[in-house]
Amino acid sequence: MPLGRDEAKKTIERVLSLRKDGDLEVELLAQTSSHTRFARNEITTSGLVEDVTLSIVSRREGKSGDFSTNDLSDAGLRDAVARATALRDLMPVDPEWVDTLAPQTYPALQKYDARAEQARAAERASGVKAALTLAERRKLTAAGFYQNGAEWRSIGNSKGNFGHHVSTDVEFSVTMRTADGTGSGWASSRSQEFSEVDPKGMARRAADKGVESAKPREVPPGDYTVILEPEAVAALIQTLQFGVLSKRAADEGRSAFSKEGGGSRLGDKVAHESVTLRTDPSDARVPGLPWSPVGGFGGGVPSGLPNRAVAWIEKGVLKTLYADRYWAGKTGVEPTPFPASLVLEGGRQSIEDLIAGTDRGLLVTRFWYIRAVNPQTWQLTGLTRDGLFLIEKGKIAHPAVNLRFNESPLVMLQNIEGMTPAVPAGRMLVPAIRSRAFTFTSKSDAV
Amino acid sequence: MRGPSRREFLKSCGTSALALAAVEMIPGTFVTRRADAADLPADGLEGLGSVALERARSLGATYADIRINRYRTQTVLLRSTPDWTTGTINNVPSVVDEERFGFGVRVIHGGAWGFASSASVAKDSIARMTAEAVAIAKAHARLRREPVRLAKVSAAKDTYATPVEKDPFEVGVADKLALLQQTSDEVRKVAGVFSVSGLMEQHLEERFFMSTDGSVIRQRIVQVAPEYTATARDIKTRKSKTRTFRPDAVCGGYEFIERAGMVEGARRVGEEVVNHLKAPSVAPGPKDLVLLPTHLALTIHESIGHSTELDRAMGYEANFAGTSFLTTDKLGKFRVGSDIVNVFGDRILPQALSTCGYDDDGVKTKRFPILKGGIFVGYQTIREQAHWIGQEESMACCHADSYASVPFQRMPNVWLAAGEKTASLDDLVAGVDDGVLIDGRGSYSIDHQRYNFQFGGDAFWEIKSGKVGAMIADVAYQSRTPDFWQACDLLGDQSTWRNVGLNRDGKGEPGQINAMSHGCPASRFRRVNVIRTE
Repeated sequence: MPLGRDEAKKTIERVLSLRKDGDLEVELLAQTSSHTRFARNEITTSGLVEDVTLSIVSRREGKSGDFSTNDLSDAGLRDAVARATALRDLMPVDPEWVDTLAPQTYPALQKYDARAEQARAAERASGVKAALTLAERRKLTAAGFYQNGAEWRSIGNSKGNFGHHVSTDVEFSVTMRTADGTGSGWASSRSQEFSEVDPKGMARRAADKGVESAKPREVPPGDYTVILEPEAVAALIQTLQFGVLSKRAADEGRSAFSKEGGGSRLGDKVAHESVTLRTDPSDARVPGLPWSPVGGFGGGVPSGLPNRAVAWIEKGVLKTLYADRYWAGKTGVEPTPFPASLVLEGGRQSIEDLIAGTDRGLLVTRFWYIRAVNPQTWQLTGLTRDGLFLIEKGKIAHPAVNLRFNESPLVMLQNIEGMTPAVPAGRMLVPAIRSRAFTFTSKSDAV
Repeated sequence: MRGPSRREFLKSCGTSALALAAVEMIPGTFVTRRADAADLPADGLEGLGSVALERARSLGATYADIRINRYRTQTVLLRSTPDWTTGTINNVPSVVDEERFGFGVRVIHGGAWGFASSASVAKDSIARMTAEAVAIAKAHARLRREPVRLAKVSAAKDTYATPVEKDPFEVGVADKLALLQQTSDEVRKVAGVFSVSGLMEQHLEERFFMSTDGSVIRQRIVQVAPEYTATARDIKTRKSKTRTFRPDAVCGGYEFIERAGMVEGARRVGEEVVNHLKAPSVAPGPKDLVLLPTHLALTIHESIGHSTELDRAMGYEANFAGTSFLTTDKLGKFRVGSDIVNVFGDRILPQALSTCGYDDDGVKTKRFPILKGGIFVGYQTIREQAHWIGQEESMACCHADSYASVPFQRMPNVWLAAGEKTASLDDLVAGVDDGVLIDGRGSYSIDHQRYNFQFGGDAFWEIKSGKVGAMIADVAYQSRTPDFWQACDLLGDQSTWRNVGLNRDGKGEPGQINAMSHGCPASRFRRVNVIRTE
């Protein structure tokens, strides 16, 4: 349900007018989203959702109460403010409480496309039909997901801060499986613009992968040079957002960026010199908000800090760690936005170059079910999926049976041998990477 | 869709314990809205529901249902950490309440599904969104290979409510924070504990369902889930370990939190996290495993629960969650486990998280066998799936996590029956020469056909010569689902059985969450590959 700047501001002002004492922080999120699913070469379920969420944090003298509703009627707003405030007054004082944000200046980000907001089932059906037609022609079985929609996001508070942002998002992903059940390929495309997402192209890529990956041969687990396609890289890098890039976790000795004996590894070389990892909300190719959507724990550290470009790792050196306003104040640094809108800068090689330069290695399409197993090394485990190929003497030799890995993305970033230019993948911008000595620990029979 | 709200974002931020869901409570004289205020309006729901059903019929739909639901969630948290500069303990509280109300209408038109939903619960928006659902079905009908066919269902006019002694939304925040504080203080009495984070989540769903099959069903589901985690760290070696106390999340009231032994277990949790930090790494290799229910529940969930979902087996989840090694040709024949392994799907088991009166297809819930004597005998199904395997009835596994979500097949409670012979935990351990005892959930990962998995745990003890020894660290085990379950040689008896709840299972596109319980006894598995994760 569209909620433009003026209407959103009016709604937030209605909330703020109900304040009796202390401060109110308000977030308003309206969404319209529609999707089509397909499987076994037919459409399965589809839906259209219009929804809204109003979150109110009532704050006063170290206490805060948080209540959220989807009732925007006058009675609903009155009730919500009263409940947030009643909660606040029941709370003990939060020793990590920080002041309500003063008015901020937010960057204007262009992330909207009208067709992405408004496209309905019939428009998606033509894209799905292209995929299903291709699947039937090539005797494959297709399953996939096509979604488009928009969100209208606003924040405001009783100190006069206000921000509004509209964004759209379109996603198409498809899996193509061979009739004998031994091959599976996958491809995905995501953009803020409807026309940028190409279902037919993705279907073709997934079909090619599916056919090429059929009748895989076993390769033994062990250390391999890997060429990770962008989706595989994104899946590893996104795990760094949650904890590893936290200054607090590092300072407190709980993360891979903690230093032995105390302190963090800020300033240390932690990756290959070709690695630069940054946040860039202004890049049109990645989703991004004008403000940081995350503050700190609970209502004590409100969100809303202006978003900006931040270099986390620059030329292999750890330059910045994420710090909310409380932790930044405690440790004498500037607060940073949350590490979203990630960009891992790439190189100049093509994926063909990376393959041609590999004597023996594995080409990985994507990973599945990644979980951390060790917070100190950030060792992860997970599995390859939808296309694993053995490379011998610079060429793809044959498809390989899937493998489980146990490896740290930090080790992968240290062992880089080459990169392609960065492209959109997994809601970030990342290259394909060749990295040596990537550890696989067991075989998976899954296709 | 894609853009999370702030609380959804927090939910996904690794602070997974902070299951920030939704709703209210507020106690005593401070009550601004009491629990009964969240009940669905007594009058008018059928009137609203009729708008959808009549509109759908008039537009040519052959089936329609509407769910008008209210959700309330309250999450109370307390984190106790030393201040960075002074070292004094900062007790940082947080309460997040949420209430949501809305409807979702589902139709079949031209043999295809359509669904639309809104938070605006009024006749005009219900009529408009019903037309949208029909338009979606029409647009997609030409891309169906065959029409959706629903298994028969008996029309029901009924109600169901989770038995609750003490409504969790009637208990004050101050009382809840006080319990978390007391727990934290008790854990911190153990030297070497760095921080403690506690949480209580309370969830209420008021569900109204009405369909063109003639059903009108109201349900009231209440769930509670408490837990706390202690952290110990060693700055010198930059190592840290955590230990979590997680009583069984249940369908039920606050009485379960009061009886969970939160404070009573606190010293042990503190001592175990400190011991875990000092513990030596496991020597890897094939070992016998004795798995406590708090750990085995998740192994059951991942390896048996997901592999016996019929939509997965048929390829309906191929693009995301994956398919299943348990294809339909294996039904009734394939040996998954040893002959002592009996597993049930169940939505009527008292206190289990998926238990309710009717599923979101309007089908009365039931219990059904999944593994019998180790043989795969039953899939989880919903109405549109039953005929895929020649069955007449659904197993009542249809669920949507919100009014705004499309109902589809979700995992019920899937539980492992206790052993028939008397066997205590000591009996399980006594037969082990070289093994590991594992408690609680650690990291877990399984492939997209549910063969190869790797599971960690929350705490580990060495077993040598039939006795439990000291704690060890950095343990995970890898196996293949049928190999693992066929290596099960002894199940604990009913005295070791616990009904362990999980409340964050993800599936589907767009993603939905689900809660269910996996009751099981302490169990023993022979010669499983143990790896060191250091």
